[in-house]
Amino acid sequence: MAEAPVIAFFPEASFGAALNCVGIARALQARGARPVFICHPGFTGIFADYGFQEYHLPATGAPQPADYWQDFIRRHLPHFNLAPADQIETYVAPTWEAIVDTAIQAEAPLAALLTRLRPDAVVLDNVVMFPAIARAGCPWVRVVSCAETEVPDDAVPPYCSGLASADAEGHAAFRARYLGAVGPVQDRYNRFRAGAGLPALAPGAFLEPSPHLNLLLAPSILRHRRARPLDRDRFVFLEGAVRREGPYDLPDFPKGEGPLVYVSFGSLGAMDIALMDRMIAAFARVPARFLVNVGAFRDAYRAVPDNVHLEGWFPQPSVVAMADLFIHHGGNNSFCEALYHGVPSLILPYCWDGHDNAVRAVETGTGYRLDRASWTGAGLTETILAALADSAMRDRLAANAARMQAESGVDLAAECILRVAGRREKAAG
Amino acid sequence: MTGPAGQTPRTRPRASHLDLAQRILELVREKGMQAGAHLPEQVLASACKVSRTPVRAALDLLVEQGLAVHEASSGYRLAPGFAPGSALTGPLPDAAEAELARRILRDRAARRLDETVTVAELIRRYGAPRSVVGKAVSRLAEDGLLTRAPGQSWVFAPLPDAPESQADSFEFRLLLEPEALGAPGFRLDPDRAAALRRAMVAFLAEPDDRLDPRGFQALDTEFHGLIARGAANRFVADALGQHLRLRELPGATARANVVRLRQAMQEHLGILDQMEAGRLDVAADLLRVHLRLSRSQRPQAANRGAPPLFGLTFRGGGDG
Repeated sequence: MAEAPVIAFFPEASFGAALNCVGIARALQARGARPVFICHPGFTGIFADYGFQEYHLPATGAPQPADYWQDFIRRHLPHFNLAPADQIETYVAPTWEAIVDTAIQAEAPLAALLTRLRPDAVVLDNVVMFPAIARAGCPWVRVVSCAETEVPDDAVPPYCSGLASADAEGHAAFRARYLGAVGPVQDRYNRFRAGAGLPALAPGAFLEPSPHLNLLLAPSILRHRRARPLDRDRFVFLEGAVRREGPYDLPDFPKGEGPLVYVSFGSLGAMDIALMDRMIAAFARVPARFLVNVGAFRDAYRAVPDNVHLEGWFPQPSVVAMADLFIHHGGNNSFCEALYHGVPSLILPYCWDGHDNAVRAVETGTGYRLDRASWTGAGLTETILAALADSAMRDRLAANAARMQAESGVDLAAECILRVAGRREKAAG
Repeated sequence: MTGPAGQTPRTRPRASHLDLAQRILELVREKGMQAGAHLPEQVLASACKVSRTPVRAALDLLVEQGLAVHEASSGYRLAPGFAPGSALTGPLPDAAEAELARRILRDRAARRLDETVTVAELIRRYGAPRSVVGKAVSRLAEDGLLTRAPGQSWVFAPLPDAPESQADSFEFRLLLEPEALGAPGFRLDPDRAAALRRAMVAFLAEPDDRLDPRGFQALDTEFHGLIARGAANRFVADALGQHLRLRELPGATARANVVRLRQAMQEHLGILDQMEAGRLDVAADLLRVHLRLSRSQRPQAANRGAPPLFGLTFRGGGDG
């Protein structure tokens, strides 16, 4: 009997990418493959919890100080209130610096690990290329789990810009400012690539398309019309990659049996306790029930209203499936889950492609958007009630959800990955 | 016939539970269900558009009325003597202080109540008579969950619902549970073990979308309770029993995904295999592994370009 193909997943250290990959990996497992996960230092335990083998890249450099995250939040919270263009220098470029550091540090241990693992394919769900993957001697698959804007095109708004599709003038100005700000770090990254034998990338780019397979997690309802359509042999659009979780047992609310609203701004958003506190106070005046993801910070809250329930972790897809509205930060994973279950989104973006998804939600009639810096309690209440009452949006989302569920993104991804992995076997055989 | 957790009958139920029990009876009649038919909590919760907690309370009411039965292994069923004309009758159980104590704990866990409360506040909040609130407070005090503070106030004990206290809980159990199991004199209750095995096998037979996390928690408590009760050293047995009760409080156990729930249940069965075969040293070793695997290692936060944050080494609610 032939050995099960080994598919090595290497998601970036963020929950969105990690959980997308879990969904695809489970579909691969169901087809007899052996998915394993390569983990960034510290980003461990998530995949093992889903029954997958983890391989940990060693931490290098000085250990992070204990107050790293308090410092991170203190430093960047003000930036999250800025317009996307003003985040380029304050948040986006420094983040690229950190990402490039990560790629450089991971290179040697990643190459050694891939040599030992000898996978049949590597699945990279990240925003930066690791040269060791190109040299692993097997096909590699790029998963674009951010918004579609991550793959540039003249007719698509620039990545992280939060600009409307029609704002061509805005696109040009944003691109120019972006390229100016990330130029130095991109030069540094290209020098690293050259040292590893990879060609330089175009200005602003940190990750090339895979020559084998690229999977885009952009449901058709959100897709942009491109000036240069992507090669359909190498680029496959998925209707999201939503995993299944076990059932969620609704808590007993002391007050209210109204519509159910799920609120999660991701693990980083949960750290913005002041914003969450204001929002919870506003929820008290809305005739609905709210499930709120507060991460590890439940103890930071008091006098929580009777129609609000806080938890540190939710089986998110199951909760979204029960919800009448999902309030989130525009993370692509969250947005896709809302679409997959036909639930309207209310997006308050704070960084990166959250801005792009927020604008796209409004453009496509799949959700509402509020400004993180300037929302008011009255405006929030009004928007929640409008979203809950928007039957046209609900009908549109229901029809779209039926399509997404009929065309399972995780199953299509698994089939495509196995085809690519099979090419290696044929070549070797 | 008893309630699912051997609950004492109440003499007056919450009106909402009564209503819900009536609605469930109507559904049963509409569907033409017969004596002995399964009463699935999730299906009833969906049909009545409520969560499972009130459904369970309403089903308990039907059990107390003799219209349904509950078994740990199979859940709720219509009683063998159930007839389509059966209705709620007789003296209805009391909305005792136990129910109020449960609501107080729920609201403290949800941070709706502050760490310090007064009886007057509780009377206002729950609209309950002073005598009932007083008894509920006394009950919580007896369990060590409330202590009297100066003046008229009461202070809640820290609930074990933070990542740090959950980590401490695992450390505590790792120290004591395998020792309790492996030490000379451990006594396995064979009848409980056999019933538990049946219930765990039935749990694993459910499809993913019906794998009830609360059902898991009940079986988990029963499994580790079997070990606590079997300990030869009574102080160890008491300490483990008390800790298990603490873990039943709202929010005390970290939620896990369905894959981990299945794995953990398989691990329980593997340990039980060794216990029933009398290989208690092997069972103790497997129990250590089970507890280590059950301890969450997930980072609490992660972000593009930033190092992940370990929940277990981070002290939340810091100086901000």
